[in-house]
Amino acid sequence: MAAAGRPGLRRVEHIMGTAISLDLADDLPAEALHELAERTFDWMREVDARFSTYRDDSEVCRLDRGELRLAEASDDLRAVLERCADLWTATDGFFDAYATGRLDPSGYVKGWAAQVASDRLLAAGAPNHCVNAGGDVRVRGHAADGEPWRIGVRHPWDPTATCLVLAGTDLAVATSGVYERGHHVVDPRRGTPAVGLRSVTVVGPDLGEADAYATAAVAMGTPTGITWLDHLPSPWQHAAITDQSHLFHSRTLPRHPSR
Amino acid sequence: MRRALLAITGLAAGTTALVVLKGGPGAGPATAGDVPAAQAPVAPGGTPAPDGVTAAPSASAKAPASASASAKASPSAKPDRKPASRGGDRTSTAPAAPRTTTKAPKPTTRTVTGPTVTYASTGSGPKEHQVRVQITLSGNRIVDVRGLDLPVGGQPGRLADDVQARYSGSSGEVVEKQSANVNTVSGATYTSTAYKQSLQGALDKA
Repeated sequence: MAAAGRPGLRRVEHIMGTAISLDLADDLPAEALHELAERTFDWMREVDARFSTYRDDSEVCRLDRGELRLAEASDDLRAVLERCADLWTATDGFFDAYATGRLDPSGYVKGWAAQVASDRLLAAGAPNHCVNAGGDVRVRGHAADGEPWRIGVRHPWDPTATCLVLAGTDLAVATSGVYERGHHVVDPRRGTPAVGLRSVTVVGPDLGEADAYATAAVAMGTPTGITWLDHLPSPWQHAAITDQSHLFHSRTLPRHPSR
Repeated sequence: MRRALLAITGLAAGTTALVVLKGGPGAGPATAGDVPAAQAPVAPGGTPAPDGVTAAPSASAKAPASASASAKASPSAKPDRKPASRGGDRTSTAPAAPRTTTKAPKPTTRTVTGPTVTYASTGSGPKEHQVRVQITLSGNRIVDVRGLDLPVGGQPGRLADDVQARYSGSSGEVVEKQSANVNTVSGATYTSTAYKQSLQGALDKA
């Protein structure tokens, strides 16, 4: 909730099986902030209802079972599937919405949903905000203290620590790793769990793409994943941590100066 | 990786050709004692080296033929080139050469290792790499081809060096803990339960 002495509003809700944290830093009237937060979480709940693979009645599940034809699917779903196909190509097949043998665009959807939420906040007159959807972060403008947003990257062996601090006023930061749910990222070419990279963080302009790139790099493992990340065009940047706890990152990664 | 495999393929074919061509009676010190020299040299249908990789068989032609195959006729070696099967666990299904002049001996399996061959690449970085090719024959069929001494991961060492040089640490920084003075935390998707123990959870409670 809004802390005393700072403008804006903070709120957390549990949606999509994870926590969505919203930090609105604009000095707006309380009702306006409340309304913006409501709309943001309504949107995330709507995405969950339509895209969840855990809900039998979601659009994704109905499409996957053949009960819904692609032509009848919503514009959002068709756009998401199109982007997933583009990302499959862009990642040499390592980002695969069918990696589990069924349609599961979750690796793109969560980041995409948070990105859309951020875009809408910007359009609605709240240019200073941070949306964190289960570890996928989109920041714009400045934090409530007037400084650029400081985004920690979770330490891959300690959930209570960070191993990198980034700072920026317009960043999408997505991290994929094997430490939360085990080696769940599957190399779609071999069908086996990916090894070599414990955590990959991708920084760029779009959170859905960032999430997909991070997932793909983890699936590639070492050294392929790091080489591939290194060839992403500007402005994409990354940090990768190997199973041997070595950190590799782009030279121009926007690290916070105070370490 | 593809380049390396193609190079191996080319080298395997080249080595086979050399072995066959070189292996006539009295044609050189055959050190693999139990392997009879080839007797019926036939032009192999080998795969040429691809662009960008130039096999240098002349170097190995001068080397002692530590490998002499029992191939009476040279099969068209077309090893399986699926990139997924690295490390030489492939089995190639080379067709039997129909042009053999004498009957093939009863199929015995033998493994022959060729000399170390230096090959050149046209890319940036070091121009030369070394590889040895080991072939397994059943009778006069090549049933397996392995590249030995391959750089780790099947990629030339220079690639790893290039990557490392472009990063902040010479061998990568060892990951450290950083200031917790952050507004938010990016991490792999946590469950709602894990969230409660996470730094993000603590920040949200603050």
